Amino acid sequence: MHPTNLPGYVSAISVRNVTRSYDGGVEALRGVSIEIAGGCVTALLGRSGCGKTTLLNLCGAMDFPSKGEVLIAGQATTSLDDTKLTALRRGTIGFVFQSFQLLPSLTALENVELPLLLAGTKGSEARAREILSWVGLAEKEESLPFQLSGGQMQRVAVARALVHEPKLLIADEPTGNLDTVSGDQVLALLRRAADEFGAAVVMATHSAEAAAMADIRVRMRDGLIQGVEQGRQQ
Amino acid sequence: MKLFRRIVLRPLKADPIRTLISILSVALGVAVVIAIDLAGDAAVGSFQSSLATLTGKIDLTITANGGVDEQYLGRLAGLPLRAKLSPVIEQPIRVADGGRGSATVFGIDMIASAPEQGTGNQGGIFTAAEMETSAVVSSDAAVKFGWKAGQKIALRGRNRTTEFTIRTVVPGQTSGWIGLDLAAAQQLLDSFGRVDRVDIRLEPGEDLASARQAIEAAVPPGYSVRTPSDQEEEKRKMLAAFRWNLRILSYIALLVGAFFIYNTIAVGVVRRRTEIGILRAIGSSARSIEGVFLAEAGVLGVIGSLLGIGLGRVLAGGIEGMLSDTVNALFVTSAPSPISLSPAGLVGAVVIGTSVALLSALIPAREAARVAPAEAMRRSSREHETRVHSGRDLVISAALATLAVAACFAEPVDGRPMFGYAAALLAVGAMAMACPATIVWILRMLRPVLKKVSGAAGLVAERSLTTALARTSVVVAALATAIAMMVSVATMVGSFRETVQVWLVSQLGADIYMRGAGPATAGIFPAMDPRIPDLVRAIPGVADVDVFHAFPFRYEGTQATLGAGVMDIVRRKKTLRFMTGNSDTILGSLTGQDRAIVSEPFSNKHHVQVGDVLTIALGERPVKLTVAGIYFDYSNDRGLVIVDRSTLLRYLPEQPLTNIAIYLQPGADAVKVRHAIEEAVADYPVLVAPNRVLREGAIRIFDRTFSVTWALEAIAIIVAMLGAANALLALVLDRRREIGLIRYLGGSQGQVRSMILTEAGLLGFLASLLGLALGMALSLVLIFVINKQSFGWTIQFHPPVALLAGALALVWLMTILAGVYPARFATTIEPSDAVRSE
Repeated sequence: MHPTNLPGYVSAISVRNVTRSYDGGVEALRGVSIEIAGGCVTALLGRSGCGKTTLLNLCGAMDFPSKGEVLIAGQATTSLDDTKLTALRRGTIGFVFQSFQLLPSLTALENVELPLLLAGTKGSEARAREILSWVGLAEKEESLPFQLSGGQMQRVAVARALVHEPKLLIADEPTGNLDTVSGDQVLALLRRAADEFGAAVVMATHSAEAAAMADIRVRMRDGLIQGVEQGRQQ
Repeated sequence: MKLFRRIVLRPLKADPIRTLISILSVALGVAVVIAIDLAGDAAVGSFQSSLATLTGKIDLTITANGGVDEQYLGRLAGLPLRAKLSPVIEQPIRVADGGRGSATVFGIDMIASAPEQGTGNQGGIFTAAEMETSAVVSSDAAVKFGWKAGQKIALRGRNRTTEFTIRTVVPGQTSGWIGLDLAAAQQLLDSFGRVDRVDIRLEPGEDLASARQAIEAAVPPGYSVRTPSDQEEEKRKMLAAFRWNLRILSYIALLVGAFFIYNTIAVGVVRRRTEIGILRAIGSSARSIEGVFLAEAGVLGVIGSLLGIGLGRVLAGGIEGMLSDTVNALFVTSAPSPISLSPAGLVGAVVIGTSVALLSALIPAREAARVAPAEAMRRSSREHETRVHSGRDLVISAALATLAVAACFAEPVDGRPMFGYAAALLAVGAMAMACPATIVWILRMLRPVLKKVSGAAGLVAERSLTTALARTSVVVAALATAIAMMVSVATMVGSFRETVQVWLVSQLGADIYMRGAGPATAGIFPAMDPRIPDLVRAIPGVADVDVFHAFPFRYEGTQATLGAGVMDIVRRKKTLRFMTGNSDTILGSLTGQDRAIVSEPFSNKHHVQVGDVLTIALGERPVKLTVAGIYFDYSNDRGLVIVDRSTLLRYLPEQPLTNIAIYLQPGADAVKVRHAIEEAVADYPVLVAPNRVLREGAIRIFDRTFSVTWALEAIAIIVAMLGAANALLALVLDRRREIGLIRYLGGSQGQVRSMILTEAGLLGFLASLLGLALGMALSLVLIFVINKQSFGWTIQFHPPVALLAGALALVWLMTILAGVYPARFATTIEPSDAVRSE
């Protein structure tokens, strides 16, 4: 089923006939098309090297197609200059990485506040505190990353990705470095992000638990989409 | 070798810009050290080089205060010695043609002097008939005055102008001199019956010690018989403090460079932690890991040193002139010799540069060796350890500061302020140890302001510096050291300048001054015609004429100046300020008595106090002079002893006068009177100047003297800036992931740039604060310990506030500029690459 055909969802990202090739002729994606809907969790599944991360980067406007186009909130990423892309990331996109990618020099609260500060948003500290509390880490706001467990770090990363209420949340193997309990906590947060914030959550994963909680499962192989299936009952 | 290439050279090649900057830091440090040594050697030159060309090698020299009486030449000639005696006249003289300048006249016996080598009187260039009108000139004088062999030149003596024909130009000379026959020189300079010295050349096989003994027995006790090495030793002693201080100053750039080599290697250790773990796991010993990093430092040191040698040679050419001016103005008149780099100097430079690089790398290399194979510690936790130690470092800092204060009270060693230098080094150590705690404290204070003003850039910049505290501390300590040196030297020079200016106002109390025409260098006092004072006194508007006789003399193995003036006028005009005692009483006690006053440098150098008795040879006999007072004097480092004119003339009745101070009647037109004086003395080779011109001239000499100091400071600051750029680039390279991440989170290129520039600005700010504090402490050490023990001058503390503020602002700006390239580099980091590479 096409994701945009789901009742009540609208397309957040349109990937249209995209090919991404690198120097030396290696094609990471070959003519891929997909629509990603807001308010639902889309899981990209497949072996390492199948093109999941490339597709995520294209969806997050961190990379650009060699052929075809990617539209985020209706805008083709290749048509945007650096200033507009920066504005797009600030306002529309949040990222969660496998290895957390917190700034080691900032406290949990400051890490969460950072996107708002970069965007020059007023009242950033209060908003960061609110979202940190939302992920259940209010008491850890002064902790530096190395003082947190892996699960806590990833929850801080989720809070940071959601602090500016993005329309799109990109997650690359969000549970890859976590134990089962922590992984479940993070997946629950991503689920809530889609349900409560209406964000389009796109996640690349090897995890069966993550795939199980997704609304849409996109199976990939050798740079191609092999199939799209509906997951969790809507 | 293969391993060396892979593990040592490859990482250096992989990071070409940082490697280049590190090499350049060492090169500049080594270059400065070499340049100061080479230029110092060349500026000091050799006493004998000029005359030896004409007379050959000299074994002994006879000198006497007031000149050597020619009557002793006969007695010396009668000694049973196989030796050649060369009576010498050596005086400055004015070249009459167009009044273009002055040169040194050497008067020697052109028939008796047959040099073994050189191009002087070879083959009888002067015939007997031509003897009185012939001259040889040095190539330097020929270039300066545009002379050629065969040309006629006019020389202006004490009261006559004589024409000479240049018979030959002696090539390869670095000073301007004119060689005449002794009799012609005596006639030109009105110096009959006396010569300035007698040079003696012993025949082969003659024993130097016994010859010296025989000669000393044949001349009066007031005469001095010395070997060229005695004279060199004397000059070495006179210049020791000056050259030591310059040498120490030249090591600052190397010290600053050392901080950055430390930083480069430390960064390498942090960055290659995984690699170290792997190497250890596959069998490398801890010692070989240490060796890898030491080898890296060694490569930087050797290449930097070799580059520094070339750079130093070029730099030496640039500063030799400045040093030569200072040596001649303040210490001893000497002809500069060509700059020459000895093989020992080359080896020394490589050893110094490489040793500094190796020593700087020792601590990080040891740290690398301690990494356990399985260790996978994160950088953040390593940095946290540094923060934990900052309390201990503060205690060490306090201990070092206490030792520094104690060292300030220690006596000099062999006339050198060794403990003063130690105090300065300890103070730098204290600052460096206090750095981590101070940085954390200041940044914590600044945190709210930075976040408010610079937003994310301010927050990340501040946190990044605090987290990478070990590295931040080294960079800040290095920058602060360079800034502190600049602040302290600026404060010392500024205070000195102010003190000299105040002193000049009181010292130059007369309205017009006159002196014999000739070079204004230390120990050279061109004589004036004795009829001039009467000519001046007769001019309407002149109230008082104080005549002064000055000449060099030797005291305890170093040169000083003996002067004699009319103490009654000095007393009435109050031109001298004494350290203790009433000036009227002191000066009143000198007239006609064997009493003297001494300058502060003389008192400090020879440990002379009021009431002590000095024994000084005046003419043929030693005279005992009681010290009546010690006065402030900043004219030169040699030291002065002043007696009343009547006292001097009692022992040396023919001693020529050298200076005249003229006081005008109240209401007299100074310009008119000066013109009248110039007209009255037009036929005499004298210089007339109002006191304003003299004051300006003195300050000009002062400023020229410290120009080398400023040049050294500038180079230390340049090294510091290179280091700052290097360190910032390292920070950027190490934080590629963070920078990429900030771009992921919506940071623009401008924000990334602003973040790096904010870090640069913060580094500059922290370094300026610490540098200013340390600099003020060091300026006290420089003024009240090092300068006092080296030169004996009392300097009033006058920090040049505006200059310091301007200099600090400039350094701050330069630090921010040092961040421009790293900032630009940071904006080129591809976010997805940076994050993926982690």
